[in-house]
Amino acid sequence: MAEAPMDLEEGEDIPLPGEDFPDAGAASPPPPPVARGPVIINDRYMIDPGAPLPDLDLPSAKAFAAEDRREPGRKLYALICTPGLPVRVDAMAKLKGFNINGMLTLVEWESVFWASMEQRTTAVIYERPLGGPIMAAVKAREVTLNEYELPRRVIEPMSGVIRELGTQGVSHRSIRAANMYFMDEDRQNIVLGDCTTSPPGFDQPTVYEPLERALAGRAGRGEGGVTDDIYALAVSVIHILVGGNPIAKMSEDELLYRKIERGSYATVCGNAWVPMSLLEPLRGMLTDDSAERWSGEEIDSWMNGRKQTPLQKRSAKKADVPQRFGGRNHVTARTLAHAFSQDVSDAVKMVNDETFIAWIRRNMNQPDMADAIEGAVKSANFHKGSFQGTDDYLITHVCTILDPEGPLRYQGFNFTMDGFGDAMAIEYMRKGEAQIAAEIISKDLTALWFQAQASVYGETGAQQRMFSQLKGYLAINEPGYGFERCLYEINPSMPCQSPMVIKHHVVTIEGLLPALDAAANNADARSKPMDRHIAAFVAARFNQDIQPHLKAIASARADTSVIGMLSLLAFLQWRLQGPAMLGLSSWIGGLLGPAINTYHNRAMRRELEREIPRLVRKGSLPELFDLVDNADRRREDGDGFAEARAEYDEAESEIQEIEGSDSERMAKAMRAGQQTAAMISVISTMIVVTAIFLWQAW
Amino acid sequence: MAMQPGNSRRSSGLVLWGGIIVFGMIIVSFPTVMVAGVGMLPTLVAFLVDRTDEKFATFCVGGINFCGVFPQLMTLWNGEHTINAAMNILADVFVVATMYGAAAFAWMLFMSLPPVIASVLNVMSQTRLASLRSVQRHLVEEWGPEVAGEDNPPPPDTDSPPEPAAT
Repeated sequence: MAEAPMDLEEGEDIPLPGEDFPDAGAASPPPPPVARGPVIINDRYMIDPGAPLPDLDLPSAKAFAAEDRREPGRKLYALICTPGLPVRVDAMAKLKGFNINGMLTLVEWESVFWASMEQRTTAVIYERPLGGPIMAAVKAREVTLNEYELPRRVIEPMSGVIRELGTQGVSHRSIRAANMYFMDEDRQNIVLGDCTTSPPGFDQPTVYEPLERALAGRAGRGEGGVTDDIYALAVSVIHILVGGNPIAKMSEDELLYRKIERGSYATVCGNAWVPMSLLEPLRGMLTDDSAERWSGEEIDSWMNGRKQTPLQKRSAKKADVPQRFGGRNHVTARTLAHAFSQDVSDAVKMVNDETFIAWIRRNMNQPDMADAIEGAVKSANFHKGSFQGTDDYLITHVCTILDPEGPLRYQGFNFTMDGFGDAMAIEYMRKGEAQIAAEIISKDLTALWFQAQASVYGETGAQQRMFSQLKGYLAINEPGYGFERCLYEINPSMPCQSPMVIKHHVVTIEGLLPALDAAANNADARSKPMDRHIAAFVAARFNQDIQPHLKAIASARADTSVIGMLSLLAFLQWRLQGPAMLGLSSWIGGLLGPAINTYHNRAMRRELEREIPRLVRKGSLPELFDLVDNADRRREDGDGFAEARAEYDEAESEIQEIEGSDSERMAKAMRAGQQTAAMISVISTMIVVTAIFLWQAW
Repeated sequence: MAMQPGNSRRSSGLVLWGGIIVFGMIIVSFPTVMVAGVGMLPTLVAFLVDRTDEKFATFCVGGINFCGVFPQLMTLWNGEHTINAAMNILADVFVVATMYGAAAFAWMLFMSLPPVIASVLNVMSQTRLASLRSVQRHLVEEWGPEVAGEDNPPPPDTDSPPEPAAT
């Protein structure tokens, strides 16, 4: 079976830095031990690391008690995110202070230093739900939510939340029974929990995900939308109603196959009894075709007592005769696509077998699909020896034909188009590289998926453009581009992975210089505060044109590269109006030798060397840059050097002339002597003749 | 080296014109021609010996030789301008010695002055050389050895550092 880098098991945590994924921060010594006291955010919110709240833990975040120092009675709690795991910064920004009935209010979020992890991470502060998680209460039979209460207390407020979030351009993607809480101690108000501490859908058990997203790896499920949240809400309602997951013991693959073959509603409910009154909305909300799935309006109509047209159960097209593959019989193209992606070598044998094509054509009654697969096989044979002739490519192509709505499946890297960024980030975090993701971009594999779509709508066009842009970045192997640029461009929440700042959890461009300033204390003085990750992070996050800076950094000449680095960091400090960077200035100050040596004038060099310590003490990178690469000073030096060279050359020519061969010099001297004698003689004659004439005349 | 046809024609022309002038002067002023011809013989010899283009030796000997001959010509012109008077002048050993002595002095001057001048020029050259070396040393101290072109830095490439950020 092909390696499945993204298919993390349910409940499997992304390893923390320093555990088993390559620690990009190894080059940077950890910050000095810090007392594990309270953590303060914005001088207001205090998180107590000694007061964990395990009931409120999430798969990717741990909960701790928090307080508002301005309102001591206010009950809060903080979720401490898994360091390095991309969090939903954009959603945090939109939800901060957004008070919706039916959802926990996000009070504040900030990057904090978490002593037990010895690194920075994101902390998100919420109003604390005083009644605890509802599933705990339901399982303990302390609370009963029956079919009469569920619509009013769960479905109505939650669908309202989903709609409100939709208007904000946010999808929750973490709606599950385990992430719902009683807000009050009386356990009357039910609210949805956090949705920002992990990538969309990452923490969701597969049962909560609609088919096209469930078939993708956990990290590649994608941003999704309102219909995905409604699907998850329906699954949550069933779990609350039943008091747990009726198909909890079912394996992940079995769950997917059943969802495909029998439909989500029948699979999710299992053998559990569903009251008649909820049958209609649950069927509508669990429809596998997202276009036909109930929206908030249909839920409202149902809540208001209006009957909806009953949805006919529409199963996937099934074959008359099953096709055996991977130890099970397949009657749908979609299950085959899923199975093919898990066993590429056997899949290749099957797609090269004419009986398989005939089965698709006759038993599945899909002649177009059969023709397309036949074409893909012929194309692979034609390109034998090149990438398009590889087994992995062929099976990826065949999978997109068999299951065009499903994720793109390549070497176990299964993702929806809007989930590629998170999938790539998680793969990078786990392996320290993302070869497969890079291959997908560079080989334009997503084109296969886009070609397979029946219609191209606006979002698809934008995604195609995005992949094309990423391909452009990947093709340039210079700092500020390459794989690293793709990583940060497609993941706005991805912390900078440079070994120098990884422990500082730099998510925003504003955090980069302070992190480098802090890293300066432990940095090797000979190393540069710039690497491919930092260059790419700045290029992706900084909304200014830094093309010339990147070009200079990429130069093979040490002086140009150092000046390029300083200019970029100085530009950042100037633009962002950052505070004094004493450590970073000192670090860079020690690296400016090659830059100073670009000046020809020795006196100017000495003057610059004298000035550097003064500017380092000011912590101003722009001033440091202005000192080292002042245009007027450089012009003056250049002009002076040109004049000096001309003067030197002139002197050299004269010296060569004087030092010409001895015989020539002697000949010159003799000629000069003879000329002098002749002149003396002629002048004497003129004087004598004139004197005699005068004497005679007198 | 064989004489160029052009030079040969020019020399022939000079000889022809010289002959016409001398012949004319013989007819007009034979005594003067006698004194000058005998008195200026060292100059003629110098002219024949001096193979240089500039004819510095001829000018040097001729000038001072003329200084010795000119007083006798003045005597002739101010007194009787006759062949006898010319013969009397030429018969005076003292006069002839004066004319030829002047030529000899000129020749001595011509022989001794160039080495002296060469020594003087040599001293001046050495002084100038030291001054130029000093200027070069100063330039190297101020601008580094690359100013001499010994260790030329590569020409500025296109990826030169960007313009400074505004401060």
